[in-house]
Amino acid sequence: MADATLNIQGKRVLFRPGTVLKLSVLIILILLIVLPLLRTVLFTLQPDTIKAWSDVLGSRLSKNLFYKPLTNTLLIGVVVSTGCVLIGGFLAWLVVMTNVPFRKTIGVMATLPFMIPSFAAALAWGTLFRNDRVGGQVGFLQGSGLDIPDWLAWGIVPTLIVLTLHYFSLAFTIIAAALATVNSDLVEAAQIAGAKGRKILMGVILPVTTPALVAAGSLCFAGAVSNFATPALLGLPVRMQTLSTRLFGMIEVGQVGRGYVIGIMLVIISGIFLWAGNRAISGRRSYATITGKGGRAKRFDLRGARWPLFAIAMTILTASTVVPVIVLFASSFAPSSSDLFANWTAHYWIGQSTPNIAQGTAGIVHNPDILRALGVTLSLGLAVAFTGMIIGLLTAYTLARYREGVISAAITQISFLPLLVPGIAFGAAYIAYLGAPIGPFPALYGTFALLVIAATAYLLPFSVQTGRAVIQQVGGELEESARITGAGFVKRMTAITMPLAVRGLAAGSILIFVKIIRDLSLVVLLFTPTMPVLSVVAYRYASEGFGQFANAITVVILSLSIVTTLIANRLQSKSQPWLNN
Amino acid sequence: MTVLNITRLGAMCILLSTAAFADGHLDEMTPNDLLPLAQQEGSVTVYSFTSRISKVEAAFEQAYPGIDLQGFDISSTEQIARLKAEAQAGVANADVIYISDTPVVLTELLETGIIAPYVPPRVADRVDEQYKSPLLAQRLSTKVLMYNEEANPNGAPVDSLWDLTRDEWNGRVVMVDPLQRGDYLDLMTEIVLQSDQMAQAYQTEFGQAIDLDGAANAGEKFIMDLFANDVILVRSTDDVNAAVGKLGQDNPPIGFTSYSDRRDNEEEGWALQVANDVAPAPGIIFPAIVALASEPKNPAAARLVIDFLMGDESDTGGPGLAPFYVAGDYVTRTDIVPHPDAVPLDDFNAWRLAPVETAKIRAEVGDLILTLQ
Repeated sequence: MADATLNIQGKRVLFRPGTVLKLSVLIILILLIVLPLLRTVLFTLQPDTIKAWSDVLGSRLSKNLFYKPLTNTLLIGVVVSTGCVLIGGFLAWLVVMTNVPFRKTIGVMATLPFMIPSFAAALAWGTLFRNDRVGGQVGFLQGSGLDIPDWLAWGIVPTLIVLTLHYFSLAFTIIAAALATVNSDLVEAAQIAGAKGRKILMGVILPVTTPALVAAGSLCFAGAVSNFATPALLGLPVRMQTLSTRLFGMIEVGQVGRGYVIGIMLVIISGIFLWAGNRAISGRRSYATITGKGGRAKRFDLRGARWPLFAIAMTILTASTVVPVIVLFASSFAPSSSDLFANWTAHYWIGQSTPNIAQGTAGIVHNPDILRALGVTLSLGLAVAFTGMIIGLLTAYTLARYREGVISAAITQISFLPLLVPGIAFGAAYIAYLGAPIGPFPALYGTFALLVIAATAYLLPFSVQTGRAVIQQVGGELEESARITGAGFVKRMTAITMPLAVRGLAAGSILIFVKIIRDLSLVVLLFTPTMPVLSVVAYRYASEGFGQFANAITVVILSLSIVTTLIANRLQSKSQPWLNN
Repeated sequence: MTVLNITRLGAMCILLSTAAFADGHLDEMTPNDLLPLAQQEGSVTVYSFTSRISKVEAAFEQAYPGIDLQGFDISSTEQIARLKAEAQAGVANADVIYISDTPVVLTELLETGIIAPYVPPRVADRVDEQYKSPLLAQRLSTKVLMYNEEANPNGAPVDSLWDLTRDEWNGRVVMVDPLQRGDYLDLMTEIVLQSDQMAQAYQTEFGQAIDLDGAANAGEKFIMDLFANDVILVRSTDDVNAAVGKLGQDNPPIGFTSYSDRRDNEEEGWALQVANDVAPAPGIIFPAIVALASEPKNPAAARLVIDFLMGDESDTGGPGLAPFYVAGDYVTRTDIVPHPDAVPLDDFNAWRLAPVETAKIRAEVGDLILTLQ
């Protein structure tokens, strides 16, 4: 008798709506993310590497090895994510909700900085602000007679500015997607009640876009704290270190144990910060803004502020897009890396191999390696955008519909993890994880599948966060009415949730595509001779001093990213006519 | 039953010994003997720490048609990480390893059995013992003090490493962060290993015995003083080259970089020159290693590549060595004519890196530098 009751209760727990779904998602995430990372942790617990923990956390080295870099890292994370949400949010508001001039131009330009590798932005900073501390070529401003102080040329200030100008477009993409789904009846209700623009912004729009703001802030925070190229380029001459430059350095000189410990600490500390952010959303009940009724809201009339606000937006966008693009472009034509605008030649693009230039390397259109890498890179981008968004959507849906409980909390935390793991460590973990055969499954080392699986896992935070911001706004009522009429889970997903979330999903897919085709840190260990990708080829050229080829390839990657974005924008506006004026 | 087992055992013994014999046999083969076997294998994969492998690839395929050399340009540090990961995964992708970073290579790759030594019998008698064991060095590369020749037409502006700790060089010495690049950590380690010479040079420079002031030895004292004198750390040797070498500077800095980068002076607009006479030594000279993967998929072709990389019987080593026959790179073969534009190896004052000694205290020196940053 008692057994029977227990049994029934047990079944109820098991078949409570969502349990199966939640468990499946959890298992997928554990397989993709937790197991490979666990290997890294176990590595630092081996008898001969365990001393790394005390070296890093409590020895005479700790101050320089860990605590000072940690302070810089947290400063960067907090300032950059705040700046990104402010700038990205401001631009998204201008583009989506106001009648600012050249809205579409601003919209397209605001998505560009994220596609420009952050090292290009850092190089561009140097081109302008570099002073005579290091010697050699000074920047444009110092060259024009201005005396640029060290704090403006090197260290934390330029790092903060460059990273903010790099990551704000990530915030823009997410916040714009969320703003675009804000329902007209909310805004109209406020207008009827007599609320003015500022009041509507603060009282209606900001609150309902909170999930997007928090998601954007979290992604920018995580991106900024694990960014390597910018602090390495701008910080080193004044000996500013962050956890990521320290991690890289430790692995670089063969002290892998310490490197991993720093990496693990980076994960833990960022995790705590992001957990706090997540608490902020999960406290609220519902963010549903796309409901069964309502249409597009009227745009705010900025009146006299139209052109001044336009000028502010363009200043930010010029600094973050036009300048780095010019530097990249120029340096793919300039024979000398120190004099960007002299003696231009198209050799690095279209030249045939000549022995006296760059060890006989042919221009990139004649280079079979680069063409092959281009094919692999594009396939990888498409495959990962597809797999990433499927798992991302599934995860986001699960979290939005069943946000209570331990499993959901675990899913949230795990889906964030890869963001905090430096790509090179993630790649190494994956080689150890899937490189060798597991039971009946063959070793995946050197296969396209390994690249796709690892990249999907690595970029999951992006797919989940973007999917989540949108899906939380797709009201449950639509799906519920479908369920009442007898539609199954798959039917509801494909007929209701997917179409409504398509803009956010497309935005997520673009992010993933763009991120993976220019990603270096993850693939640098995973790529194999038969499976070259563009960024690795570019990196090889850059490290051999053939910066022009590297920059030419970067320009190719950039063009690919821009074309993708434009196509995606066009597709979106066709499938969602209500987003147009 | 027992008989069967014994027969099996015997068969296994024979098989094993043939395998061993075959391998040993390969080590003794001349290029001509290796060629047909290598052609049967059809391809060979090389991990190389220099992009010059693409030139080697073209030359090799021309010399030995029918063997596809797949050369991959992968930095030493990355090769080490990759080879270790591959070994863990039970995959042997590379046949030939061409790499620097010897101190790490010895402990992480050779001692762990991931790579194995091979000296082509053809050139074995023309390479010094020190460059054949424990691994074969193909050439020697450098990290030495370089200055701007244009701004200092009468030679180096310093005559001792200790000059770099003087006030006039405050904030004007450039090098790559030794905690981000292995070869610079090797340089710092060598300075510590050469503490006696450093103490002697101090005495000569300042006319008094060195006061260690808490440092363990003269080498460590130098590193501490150098960092206290605001040495500027950058990310890559090219950054050092541009800072030190850039033409048109009134008061250029000085810095540690590769002697062979002088070959790019014209193309890049630099005026780099080595400060060879600086006391006690301008820096380090260290080997570039060629080795076999311990279980190469293409054992004959792999050996043929290493043979090819050691150069042919001509005075300058022919097409296999051509990419490396530049001023500032020193080929280890004793019968190759030294490059006419470089300081001859015998006159080159840099310390010869001792990989085994370096490996012992490298991490300690790294820790010291960590506390100084």
